[in-house]
Amino acid sequence: MYLTVRDATKTYGTFTALDRVSIEIEKGEFVCLLGPSGCGKTTLLRLIAGLTDLDGGEITLEGATLSDLPARKRDFGIVFQSYSLFPNMSVAENIGYGLKIRGISAKEIAARVTELLELVKLPKMADKLPGQLSGGQQQRIALARAIAVDPRVLLLDEPLSALDAKVRATLRDEIRQVQRSLEIPTLMVTHDQEEALALADKIICMNHGIVVQAGTPEDLYHRPATRFVAEFMGSSNLLATEEVARHFPDLLATYPADKKAYIACIRPEQIAIKPAENGVATVQSISFLGNLQRLELDCPAGPLLVETHGRSPCRTGDSVELSISTEACTWVLDDAEQPETTPA
Amino acid sequence: MSSIGQTTRPPLQRSPLRRSLDADRLLTLACVGLPLIGLILFFAYPMVIVFLRSITVGDSYGIGNYTEVLGSAGFWRATRHSLTMGGATTVLSVFLGFIIAQGLYRCAFRGKWLVRGIIVLPLLAPSLVQALGLIFLLGRNGVISRALGVEIEIYGFWGLLIANTLYALPQAVMIIGAALVLLDARTYEAAEVMGASPWRQFRDLTLPAARFGILNAAFVCFTITITDFGNAAVIGGDYSVLATEIYSQVVGQRNFNMGAVVGIMLLLPTVISYSIERQAMKRQQAGQSTGQVAYQPSFAPLRDITMAAVSLVICAGIVAVIGIVVYASFVTLWPYNMSLSLKHYNITLAGGYSSLWMTIVVSLAAAVGGTVAVFLLGLGLRRLPQAIAQPIQILAAMPAAVPGMVLGLAYILTFNSTATPLYLLYGTAALIAIVNFYHYHTQGFLTVMTGFRQLPPALEEAAGSLGAGLGRTARDIVAPFIAPMLVSVFFFLFMRSMVTLSAVVFLTTPKLSVAAVTIMRLDDAGLTSQAAAFSTCVMAVVCVAVLSMKVTIALMGRRSKGAV
Repeated sequence: MYLTVRDATKTYGTFTALDRVSIEIEKGEFVCLLGPSGCGKTTLLRLIAGLTDLDGGEITLEGATLSDLPARKRDFGIVFQSYSLFPNMSVAENIGYGLKIRGISAKEIAARVTELLELVKLPKMADKLPGQLSGGQQQRIALARAIAVDPRVLLLDEPLSALDAKVRATLRDEIRQVQRSLEIPTLMVTHDQEEALALADKIICMNHGIVVQAGTPEDLYHRPATRFVAEFMGSSNLLATEEVARHFPDLLATYPADKKAYIACIRPEQIAIKPAENGVATVQSISFLGNLQRLELDCPAGPLLVETHGRSPCRTGDSVELSISTEACTWVLDDAEQPETTPA
Repeated sequence: MSSIGQTTRPPLQRSPLRRSLDADRLLTLACVGLPLIGLILFFAYPMVIVFLRSITVGDSYGIGNYTEVLGSAGFWRATRHSLTMGGATTVLSVFLGFIIAQGLYRCAFRGKWLVRGIIVLPLLAPSLVQALGLIFLLGRNGVISRALGVEIEIYGFWGLLIANTLYALPQAVMIIGAALVLLDARTYEAAEVMGASPWRQFRDLTLPAARFGILNAAFVCFTITITDFGNAAVIGGDYSVLATEIYSQVVGQRNFNMGAVVGIMLLLPTVISYSIERQAMKRQQAGQSTGQVAYQPSFAPLRDITMAAVSLVICAGIVAVIGIVVYASFVTLWPYNMSLSLKHYNITLAGGYSSLWMTIVVSLAAAVGGTVAVFLLGLGLRRLPQAIAQPIQILAAMPAAVPGMVLGLAYILTFNSTATPLYLLYGTAALIAIVNFYHYHTQGFLTVMTGFRQLPPALEEAAGSLGAGLGRTARDIVAPFIAPMLVSVFFFLFMRSMVTLSAVVFLTTPKLSVAAVTIMRLDDAGLTSQAAAFSTCVMAVVCVAVLSMKVTIALMGRRSKGAV
């Protein structure tokens, strides 16, 4: 294991920001810390960066402890949401600053800066001041500055949140490309589940200072462990076990053997519908989203959300038949919490 | 794929992962520690001494001095005079200041730059220059008195009131102006659309918005009036106030303990006034919003011509008072031989111009040392936990509540005592530089802290992650960012040190004097024209400093053009 955080704890007065959190990052891996605001993800990133002190637990890199090493000696790269370029330095000086501190010769720095500017697709910007660049350009330079020193870990703190939608999508792909080609172990904090799904090799989903679930994007989407994860990662239909037993008894076949309180989670795109007279459900409303449509159904088990690709076979008011395969249903622990950001 | 990094340069030298003695923490401690030791040694400790001396009776402690002072008619008369003078000056300067600020920020007329420039003139001269100017204008041999053929009694209440008002006016204009600027143009547009008349807009929008500014300005004017010594010494005549009372106790009667008592009594109103002012300032800042649209007044003849005329009259008064001093310095024999000559620039008092050069050196030292000290303090405080930083911040903001006379008295009591090695500083130029810095510590400190508040923490964190230590971050990132604030603090400390009188008046010796004290001595010796000449020289130096500051800030602005 390359970077490990074991039992990291951080409290501010009576507020526990992190409660014995343990995570791991492999060499070359892209890991996303995902969660609503206030869940402790940024605190965890700052602990790893060395910008905040640990109250308990340990952080190790390649087996050696980092806990007492100040940020400036960790050789990490960091990119903030607010760009944070040095306003008094040109783009080239910003990128070369870390190298200058390490005593690299001016000639080598210049060569490296040119290379990095190519990499972030801003080759002509070397002499500009940060104030003369757009937000997206500034964030590219901030990325170049962070990777210039060949960091042992790249830390990204909501790097895309301040940008508008289009720039965000482009830069997201570029970050992924750069990370893949340089194979830098990367940890990114985000509250945007779509961003996490698109970028991460591994997602660590957090809430209230603890890790709720860690796994691949597919794991978290298709096999959420708790109600919180199910609701935070995209939209889902959550049905109480009694309702399932009454209306979809077939699905109970996969109910876990232990006696904990589970509820059924069914993703909207995994419910198949077809118009039928005297069907069990009625279409309440249809939203057209371009490539897909979202239908709200009224059925005896409660309201159901269904997504279909292509043209919808039904219209508002139609009655429909439902079919849900057993694999489509995941049993999640009911942690009885509403996520702060309601997924669309 | 990974040609970047591996092939083009040698691998970075990794610092070994070991627990290191953290140089940054030591540096942080030094940054806060050194200025803090300064504050304790040169502010807190002397203030304790002055208090202890006020309760020293013979060889023991007691309230004997207080009962004696409180029982003397002279003290009560001085107190009554100080409060009356403070109140009258405050009312007059806030009233005039509001008119000028309203003219500058809420009316449309040309030549506002002239009004702005003239209003601040009294700040560029020792406070006794206003008094000198009034004597040349309205004194027995004054230009106006002779022209009108009337005898005006300028020494006393009325002369002092005018001199103090001229001195307090710039502060009032700046503070009230800052409050008026805060009010968004859209608020007025909304009121206009809703049908509010200009008078209603003034009454319902402008006045409430300027409320804290006016309150704040009132307290500032009151404080600087009751603590000012220069005007009272030159034009006060028989109208004794607390500041002159301390001076006569200490210098006239060599009665230090009594001086300390009067000092403590003078401290009471200033501390109260200053703490209310700080609260008002916070309230005003809390009301600020971002994304404001500046108010652009349109021309309204009746309002604007009136306001321009009133502003012009006030400005003419200021120019006359200061200008007459410059003019008189060139007049051969006022008022009998009005031909011009340079003979008064040949200073006949012992020392001649040496005190002017000394003042420049001392002011430079106070400015350099002071700027470095408040920068280090601000830098270090950012890295300390709030629980430790808070009390230090409060201590750093305290000197503004202490009148210069009281601080000067505290210094003479502390440093003219052979009990501690601090005695070595007594009678040195260094001590004068130090007293000037701590006298104006608060303003310098608060200015730098404003700069630090605008500095995003992420900038320092980014530098840290790139491997920069505190020293390097301070030099490469922090200092360039707050450079404009540092330049302002430097010139502020320099200019105040050039013209201040109250704190240094006790610390000068026959061998070591400063400009403002020399002016006072020249005036005392009846060499009024020489005093005017010396004042003119001081004003010239300060004007050069102001110009240098403007040029420096303009150059810095041009260099960082394009930066946010």
